Order: sequence, then C-alpha cells, then structure tokens
Amino acid sequence: MNKSVFAFIILLGVILFPACEKDDICVDGDTPLLVIRFYNEADTTSTKNVTNLRVVGLDQTTTVNTFSDRTSADSLAVPLRPGATSTTYLLIANSADEEEVEIGNTDTLTINHETKEVFVSRACGFVANYENLTPSLDTDTDNWIKNIEVISSTVENSETAHVKIFH
Amino acid sequence: MKLYRQPLKTQKQPMLKYSISILFLLCFFNGWAQDDAINLSPQDTIVRQQTYGLRVGVDLSRILISQTSEDYSGLEIVGDYRLNQKLYIAGELGNEKKTKQEDLYNFTTSGSYLKLGIDYNTYENWYGMNNLIFIGGRYAISSFSQTLNNFQYFDTNRYWNPDTFPNGSTDARKFDGLTASWLEFVFGLKAELFSNLYLGGSVRIGFLMNNKAAADFPNLFIPGFNKVTDASKFGIGYNYSLTYLIPLYKKGPKKNKGDIENEQ
Repeated sequence: MNKSVFAFIILLGVILFPACEKDDICVDGDTPLLVIRFYNEADTTSTKNVTNLRVVGLDQTTTVNTFSDRTSADSLAVPLRPGATSTTYLLIANSADEEEVEIGNTDTLTINHETKEVFVSRACGFVANYENLTPSLDTDTDNWIKNIEVISSTVENSETAHVKIFH
Repeated sequence: MKLYRQPLKTQKQPMLKYSISILFLLCFFNGWAQDDAINLSPQDTIVRQQTYGLRVGVDLSRILISQTSEDYSGLEIVGDYRLNQKLYIAGELGNEKKTKQEDLYNFTTSGSYLKLGIDYNTYENWYGMNNLIFIGGRYAISSFSQTLNNFQYFDTNRYWNPDTFPNGSTDARKFDGLTASWLEFVFGLKAELFSNLYLGGSVRIGFLMNNKAAADFPNLFIPGFNKVTDASKFGIGYNYSLTYLIPLYKKGPKKNKGDIENEQ
C-alpha cells in the first residue's frame, strides 16, 4: 500500500475527531439571589407590603436590576457580591422625589457573608453560594425596619426566603 | 497336452514371445510414470519466514506539541511484541501535563498513564512486507492531580460587576490522588519506512469505567484519556508513533488446513 495513503487516513482522522465537541454554553446554573420577605411587625406570621420600595446598592448609581423601582411588594430578591465579605443595600420605603431630593425613609442594611464556589459544569465553571449570613442594620433615628431574622444562613438557590424583615 | 504342445511349434521365435511380454510390462510401468509427470500443482519449497520481535518507540505528536505549546508537555512510549501471524501484545506508557483556560477558569492536569492490550493485524502482507492495519483493545489506568489555578464566579446578574465576572480566589487549589481507568478501542496503521523502522498512527475511543474525582472539582482532563465531557463516558485520542523493531527470531506462518491436504 502506498505510504501516502496511510498518512492521509491518519491525518483525516485527527482533523475530524476534535470537531465533534459539545457546545460550551452555560445553561446548568447561576449564582443565586438573596431573597428577603417583609413581615408585619405586629403579626409576625403575616407578610406585609412595603410601599414604594426603592433598593439601591451602596455606592451604586442605579437601583437594583432585579426589582421594579418604587413598587409595593412583600418580597425582594437582590444579588450579593460574589467573593466579597459583605453586601450593603439602601432600602428606601415610601420612596419619592421632591425637587429631586429623596424624601423616603432610607435604612441601610448590610449582609455579611462568606462565599463558597461551587462547580456546576464545564461550560459554566463556578457559581457562588453564600454561607454564614449575618445581617446588620445601621441604626438611625427613624428606622422603618424594626427587626431582621435569618431563616436560612446559606444561599444555594433563589426559591425560598433567606431573610425576614419585620416592619 | 494338445494345448501345451502347440506353442512348442513356435519355439523358433522365443524373442518375439518375450518382447510382447516385456511390452506389456512396460505399458504397465508407463502408467505409473505418467502419474508423476502431469502433476500440475508443484509444492513451493521456499519457507516464507517472518520477523518476530519487540517494537519500541515514541509518540511523535506529544513530543511535537510539547515543543510548540506552552500549555502542554507530554511523552508517550509505545511498544508491541508479536505473538503470532496476526496478534501482538501492545502497550503505551505516558506522562502528560496540560493547562487549559476555559471561559471562567484555568486548571492544570498532571499525571501518568499505562495502557495494555492487544493489536490484531488485518492487513495481508505480500512476501517481504511487514505493514499493519490493525484494530486493538486496551485497558488503561491513570494516576494524576488537578490544580485549579484561578477562576471567576459565573453570575448572570451584572448589578455589582457590570463589566466583568468577579474574580474568585487566586490561590491555586490542588486536588491530589485522582485515578481513572478506561477501556480503549484502537484503530491504527504501521508502515515500514526503512528496515525495521516503522511510522504509524492510531486513533482511539476510550470508554471511562472508573473516575475518582475530588468532591469540589471534577476531572476535566485525564492523562492518556484526554478531555472528559459532561454526561459522557467517551473520550477521543490519537498518536503518531515512530518505532524500531528489535528482531528476535524468524518464524514461518502456521500452515493452514488446505496446505496440509495438498501435501498428502
């Protein structure tokens, strides 16, 4: 047999085989959001809407992209900062502008957390899960948030609430 | 008596009588001689001996890629030993270190592997040729480690990090004591370039049987097996071998049934 035929068959095989690879698109997972639910301070088992809630990350110029700005809701999902040790949000109740100045009641909530990387798949790589959630509220003269309770100190998905806020 | 006496009358021609008898005799022998003379299938008395020995060499592709790529270094020693007309014991021994940059993480796999099995030559050589088109099977084991060099967190929410994915720890994490075993189907060729020097190539499909991975980081590459794909146990590999046959002895092919019948 002609030796060039040998070489050609080998070369063809080498070229064709690596072409058969799966698409490297990540569809298998994502970093979860922190889910907060608002409860009635007087009746701690019933949820209570916060009116015209505005949520802004500390030092951010835009409101959080997971919540409709200045709407009333009894739950909120916000992204934490992967790899950081804490995430701080300004939660503004009864938010409104008066002559371009915010007149709502602003409370500053800091969530301390540890980040754990979790491998999802070859395409996705690592997502962040959070552990040891410890919230802290900056005390001011007129806090609309009265109390905070952690339901789940680890954040592995966005399906159930992790933190209760009483107001 | 009468019958006996009658021939006596011909006593004057005794030679004629013998000649006829001898003629009959000769006719008889002639018949034997004819049998031998018209044998139309003479036996070949040349013994077609073939070389048996140990063939050893290296995989050229791994050497070449080691030279050209910064992310790879590897060496594979290949060998086979001829058992009979078609069967060879074959094996590969190798060491690989490969660094791979995926979209959001970078890891290095480093380790050794051993493959053992058989090759079956399907090519009918002409006399004097010694080429192979073979199929084969291997059982392969690998022992290796993986190091996660760096990574970024995958997070589709871009509120805190609008331009990039946030960096994870840059401290390399090493996962030791990883092992894997697999079965391999081989299809390959070996052609004799010069006396006892062979150039060959093979493609391999591996089926992963055992894959011991770290809890936090799966085995994405296994030395000898190559890339491990999500939700699949199959892997693809190849090599280009340059081998030298160390001739040990010569042996003729085993005579098949048809040949033995012809001799009788």
